[in-house]
Amino acid sequence: MNHIELDGVSKTFGERIVLNDLSLQIEKAERLVLFGPSGSGKTTVLRLLAGLEVPDKGEIRIADRIVASSGKNLVPPEKRDVGMVFQDLALWPHMTVQQNLMFGLTARRVEKREAEVRVREMLRLVGLEHRMEAKPHELSGGEQQRVALARALVSRPSILLMDEPLSSLEDERKRALASDLLNLQSRFGFTLVYVTHDQTETDLLASRVCRMRDLQPADQINGATRIVR
Amino acid sequence: MGRTVRAETIVLWLCLAVVAIAGLAPIAVMAFESVWHEGHFSLNHYRELISAARYWPLFGNSIRLALATTALCGLIGVPTGILFAKSDLSLRSGFMWLLTVPFVLPPYFVALGWSRVVAHLGATSSDWLFGFGGCVLVLSSVFLPITMLLTFASASNVDGRLEEAGRLASRWPTVLRRITLPLSAPGILFSLVLVFLLVIGELSVPSFLRYPVLPVLSFTQFAASYNFGAATAAAVPLAALAFLGVLIESALLQNRVFTFRSVRRGLLISLGRWKHFFAVIVGLVSIALVILPLSALFADAFSLTALHNAVQRAGASVVRSVMYSAIAATILMTLGFLLGHLTRDRGQRLVNFLTLVLFAIPGTVLSIGLVRLWNSPITWFIYTTPALLILGYTAQYCAVTTRLSVAGFFLIPKTLDEAARLSGASWARRLFRIFVPLSTKTLICAWLAAYILCLRDVPLALMTAPPGGDPLPARILTLMANGSPPLIASLCLIMAMASIVPLAILARAIRAQAIPA
Repeated sequence: MNHIELDGVSKTFGERIVLNDLSLQIEKAERLVLFGPSGSGKTTVLRLLAGLEVPDKGEIRIADRIVASSGKNLVPPEKRDVGMVFQDLALWPHMTVQQNLMFGLTARRVEKREAEVRVREMLRLVGLEHRMEAKPHELSGGEQQRVALARALVSRPSILLMDEPLSSLEDERKRALASDLLNLQSRFGFTLVYVTHDQTETDLLASRVCRMRDLQPADQINGATRIVR
Repeated sequence: MGRTVRAETIVLWLCLAVVAIAGLAPIAVMAFESVWHEGHFSLNHYRELISAARYWPLFGNSIRLALATTALCGLIGVPTGILFAKSDLSLRSGFMWLLTVPFVLPPYFVALGWSRVVAHLGATSSDWLFGFGGCVLVLSSVFLPITMLLTFASASNVDGRLEEAGRLASRWPTVLRRITLPLSAPGILFSLVLVFLLVIGELSVPSFLRYPVLPVLSFTQFAASYNFGAATAAAVPLAALAFLGVLIESALLQNRVFTFRSVRRGLLISLGRWKHFFAVIVGLVSIALVILPLSALFADAFSLTALHNAVQRAGASVVRSVMYSAIAATILMTLGFLLGHLTRDRGQRLVNFLTLVLFAIPGTVLSIGLVRLWNSPITWFIYTTPALLILGYTAQYCAVTTRLSVAGFFLIPKTLDEAARLSGASWARRLFRIFVPLSTKTLICAWLAAYILCLRDVPLALMTAPPGGDPLPARILTLMANGSPPLIASLCLIMAMASIVPLAILARAIRAQAIPA
């Protein structure tokens, strides 16, 4: 069953055409990697799915619900059941790790005690329970990535969007984080849409690869993940 | 699905309504009144004004004064701004703040200081002060910081890597001429346009130094003859010039945002053995433009009798000044922050344009419009209270806090807001939990800048303060007619302290702001 569908989606920024008549289907709990060079429109696809951009043409459906259609976002970002890890991680620098995770839960009116339990559990899963009171600048690069991942997942979204979050890490750390991500995915069962231009990350994470070229996906490759766990 | 009006849309419209009520409506009423005579459309006021023998000489004087002051500010301000931003000049930070002092004081303070200097030198030397030359000197001291600081900000914003790439191929004068200056040009031109507009609207200095210009005519028609139509007609050319200036500014700058960065970055000019020579030159300029007039002004202030007398005669005005300015600064900080935040994605150019028009419009013009709009029995709760003055401050200085806020937002990555949005946070929650904590320094800077500008303002204080409720700049002007020099000096000192102490805090805040968030 398709969880996400993009149907004839186009997007331009001023004069520049970023996506041209893109159609794409993503199944539930699939791990789709959008792979391609800079400027091929990968990040725009994520931002359209998140509701941070509006498509000029075409339709976007999530769980059989039309969330955006030709120039209009019908469902706002906060109601799409989507988590996102940004390329720059976007951790709020004035909040502690715990506050970063609590923010979304309290915004969604999750009861305080339950929210605290969920935050603690999520931090345990990413191995950062002991860093709850730290501020983002006190963490290493790898720890910051884990906090961003935990923050995106703590509200248990059905879709996780990731925009090249591992690009700045060395190979060994990349593998460790990819392994954690796969574990989390098998535990929570979210659909993963992952953007990268790195072949290693693609090999580590993809259950299907969509190569972006010339403003639309050039080919799609189905394949098992080649990670050694 | 029914359409729901979002909270941010409502807040945006409320903010725009405040700007419209405080500034745009008075200007519109004033423009209307100038062409409405005895119940019908008429250009009589303009005809009378244009045919009056004194109009054109006054108009010419205004333009001449503005051009000469702008030229002098450019000649001194641009090189000093470049030196402060790009060279290893000794004591550059100290010089920069010293040269900024006259701008944070009411403009007539420097004129008063020079009048004390020439009084010591003898009667014959006063000829050059009371007239065109004196006005140019005083106004150049007052507005020099605008060209200097905007040149500094523009040059600091030039990417150091571009200069370094140029430096590999040629010497620094060439890099300065071919790379730094062209890239800083829009900011420098903007500063010159701003100085021109502020001088065109200046009232207190030309009137103290007896140099007849258009704002003085407008003020006289308003205050002495109580002839609204004529005052308005005299004011409209000033408003039109302000509008034209802002149009030029919009064309020059478009969406550029200025942020203060550390002067240590992109250091281009190594002065070497000339370092001390240039420091002496800048020191001499500082002595001539700041230290000499202000020390002459404050020389008589340091006596207990004079200070006691000053507090007795104008203590209430000091309290009022600080209170009005603090209230207005709080409103301005909030308004600027909300406008900057709400127009991040669209509408910013329009808001920038409107607020800058209000900033450039002379205080005399805005005051006439405010009085005309609110002087009716049903709105006396505004007209007869400090609310009118605070409305004036809000209209005049909203551009400053809006632009400072926009510059602050520029340093906050957009993804921080997007991440909060995806977390399910409402607009208000994102505003208070993400933007406000990350903008603390920007908010402090905006509050202090607004406070200082309101405190030093003369035309609004003179023309819109309620009877018996005049702020200190207006009170000092009144007392100057019959007060003793030590009394005036003490009052000026108190006023200066009320401005300079917050300026020192601002200096610290900006230094901390130099590191991008």
